[in-house]
Amino acid sequence: MERGESIKAAKLITADEYPLSGHFPGEPIMPGVLTLEGIAQSALILLAESLSRGRVSCFLDRVDRVKFKRALVPGDRVEFLVRLMKKEGGFWTFRGQARIKGEIAAEADVIFKVALQEVGFEL
Amino acid sequence: MMESREIQSILPHRYPFLLVDRILELESGKKGVGIKNLTGGEWFFHGHPFYPHALLLESLAQVGGIVLGSKAREENPQGRVMGLFAGVSNFQFHRCAVMGEQVTLKVEVTQSLTSLYKFSAEAFVGEEKIAGGQILLSFGRSPFGGPSPS
Repeated sequence: MERGESIKAAKLITADEYPLSGHFPGEPIMPGVLTLEGIAQSALILLAESLSRGRVSCFLDRVDRVKFKRALVPGDRVEFLVRLMKKEGGFWTFRGQARIKGEIAAEADVIFKVALQEVGFEL
Repeated sequence: MMESREIQSILPHRYPFLLVDRILELESGKKGVGIKNLTGGEWFFHGHPFYPHALLLESLAQVGGIVLGSKAREENPQGRVMGLFAGVSNFQFHRCAVMGEQVTLKVEVTQSLTSLYKFSAEAFVGEEKIAGGQILLSFGRSPFGGPSPS
């Protein structure tokens, strides 16, 4: 991770993860929306680590340019690569990819609304 | 109106990832209105009362899957087809739905190109719009071998 810039995070996919039991019975595939959630959570970690102090409240405001290109299946190790693209009026825009062995499985822009709740300053 | 049993005859999704409870209005191939009840007992409420954004998107996509799946079933009752979530664009969240609320899910096909269908998708609690944008489904032959999950 480079604070204020980018993060690389990873998640393993395994067959007995709870949501996969219904998506789909006998044919486990990671739901695309949970891959999107992985990108958003990676962005949140980067966001939290990019503020030096002060409590933040943030809120997923918008998602855009989301593309699901390849299914994630048990046995895969997915890497989330997320970059902070811009900060504008309390809105932080991140661009993320989910990759498997370098191949792009999904990509998304996630935009968070960020408010500092206590006195603090941004790096 | 379409109840859960019939929904499950169209969608391959099952617990814990069947995220639409009932279809209130349906024009197959064009548009549909569904509902998702949030009772508080579901697995995703872990120490918080919010319906996760990602699952709200999935609920809307599943109503889209029923709009397309019901049309395909009319045309070929034996065919095995399904929708896959292909993308989302410009989707805005105004607030989260919370336990105790009933979410109304409205989708309508706005554009289609061979097997790709673009929908406008909106979620409401009562009259209040809580989220909306565009979703993209790819619809075609089921990639699953063997008997249909239904």
